[in-house]
Amino acid sequence: MSAKTKSHPLVDATQPNLLEETFDYSLPPRIRFDQPCVEYIDGQALEFNLSRAQSRDIFVTDTTFRDGQQSRPPYTTDQMVHIYGLLARLGGPHGVVRQSEFFLYTKNDREALDRCRSLGHRYPECTGWIRAVKGDFRLVQEAGLKETGVLTSCSDYHIFNKLKFKSRKECLESYCEVLAAAFEAGVRPRCHLEDVTRADLDGFVLPFVDRVMEMSSHVPQHLKPKIRLCDTMGFGLSYPGAALPRSIPKLIYKFNRECGVPSELLEWHGHNDFHKVHVNGVTAWLYGCDALNATLFGFGERTGNPPLEAAIIEYIALKGGLGGVDTTAITELADYMRSIGLPIPDNYPFVGKAFNTTSAGIHAGGLRHDERIYNIFDTTKLLRRPPRVAITDKSGADGVTLWINDFLGFSNNDRINKMKCHKVARWVADQYELHGRLTAISDQEMETKVRELMPEHYAQRKKH
Amino acid sequence: MATVEQRVKGVVARVLETDAARIRPEHSFTFDLGAKSVQSVELVAAFEEEFGVELDEDAALAVTTVGGAIDFLTQACRDQGVAL
Repeated sequence: MSAKTKSHPLVDATQPNLLEETFDYSLPPRIRFDQPCVEYIDGQALEFNLSRAQSRDIFVTDTTFRDGQQSRPPYTTDQMVHIYGLLARLGGPHGVVRQSEFFLYTKNDREALDRCRSLGHRYPECTGWIRAVKGDFRLVQEAGLKETGVLTSCSDYHIFNKLKFKSRKECLESYCEVLAAAFEAGVRPRCHLEDVTRADLDGFVLPFVDRVMEMSSHVPQHLKPKIRLCDTMGFGLSYPGAALPRSIPKLIYKFNRECGVPSELLEWHGHNDFHKVHVNGVTAWLYGCDALNATLFGFGERTGNPPLEAAIIEYIALKGGLGGVDTTAITELADYMRSIGLPIPDNYPFVGKAFNTTSAGIHAGGLRHDERIYNIFDTTKLLRRPPRVAITDKSGADGVTLWINDFLGFSNNDRINKMKCHKVARWVADQYELHGRLTAISDQEMETKVRELMPEHYAQRKKH
Repeated sequence: MATVEQRVKGVVARVLETDAARIRPEHSFTFDLGAKSVQSVELVAAFEEEFGVELDEDAALAVTTVGGAIDFLTQACRDQGVAL
């Protein structure tokens, strides 16, 4: 047991301190930093001021149609166009969702790309994705795209065991030839450093990035290569003190400060194999990648990618403002995904059917007094999702009363108290105590009972 | 005419399904008479109906004993001009 080092006397108060400078209910809670972080890199203590991310032009890039499609049957063109339109609305006029990447290989790929671009949105800018094959730039040029991702896998698992290069040098030269072809084609290459969190940094990755920076020193700004750090297997770690190649802070430091890749050209692409995908993505933002690559609801290869909607919420929390984002599009996107057969778990944050639903009566009581007690932020305003109560054996009169008020559309002074709802609360309790019910009570059943047992209030309902 | 105490005991006996004769003013609704969460609300609703008053939810549910209910309802009837 540790020895006590400091006393903490009670600061008595008669008014609550709700810490509203951080928990301003109208927005996701602010993310604040009060001191720099220190990382030891190559024996040196280096300070990172994470609050700088709040003033940098950080943004989200979308790969719903590329990595996101690798985990599911293809979207139809109509579906892609609809989703793209909602992404544009979500990201707003300043391009918080800055880019979206598309396959270019099939007729359907091209049709989807052309139709999305024909919507005329400035953001997200459409970009391509091709193999590291020189001939593929023809596809990019034909599509009239300014930027494309290029596979530049960088771990020896890929270099030797997958791509079958005879040596690292052969691999590096091959990649550089492709980059030269990109410059020649007038297309900005985005080097996808596949498997970077399992790669030999000093032996291959950093020398390759040094070479990329040399090659690009004479190309115009709009062709400067981007570097996408691909945590292909989800091995990346955000913890301070973690070692390379898994440490995200240290990786970004190497690219950003040692190789001189500016933040605006650095992008993080993660996977969720170890449940770390969102935090890892945000860590990349904080330590110097301006771009966080993500997919809607995290749909992506195997365990998926950083959830785009979560990145948007994090963006708002970091910036302390919406920045033109239309968060209500998140709910529409989720509804649309469900409608085309992509399941979203009920407890999935921000969009699951039960993400802000409580079934505990004691929580419902809290919600009834002040919804801030058990709701994360103003989900009614930001997501058009008012906090709700699921009716079970745990709901009690508090839960039933909250459900009834919400159902009837009664708020503030209109709200009816528990005594007015007692007959329905009794019916609910009897379902479990007398009849041994084991399932939640549906909204339809509740509506039937309110109509039957509270006819006068039912007739006054404001929601129809 | 029945007294406030008799009327309160009558409501408690009906809602909690117990014998009015064994209910005493010092009895706690929860510990002595076994009222569960929903029954507490049913009791308050039944008091409102019996006495023809509107009760403040939080104040009414804060009353824990039969004697407390007698006093609370007597005061509520006075405040709302209801004859006892």
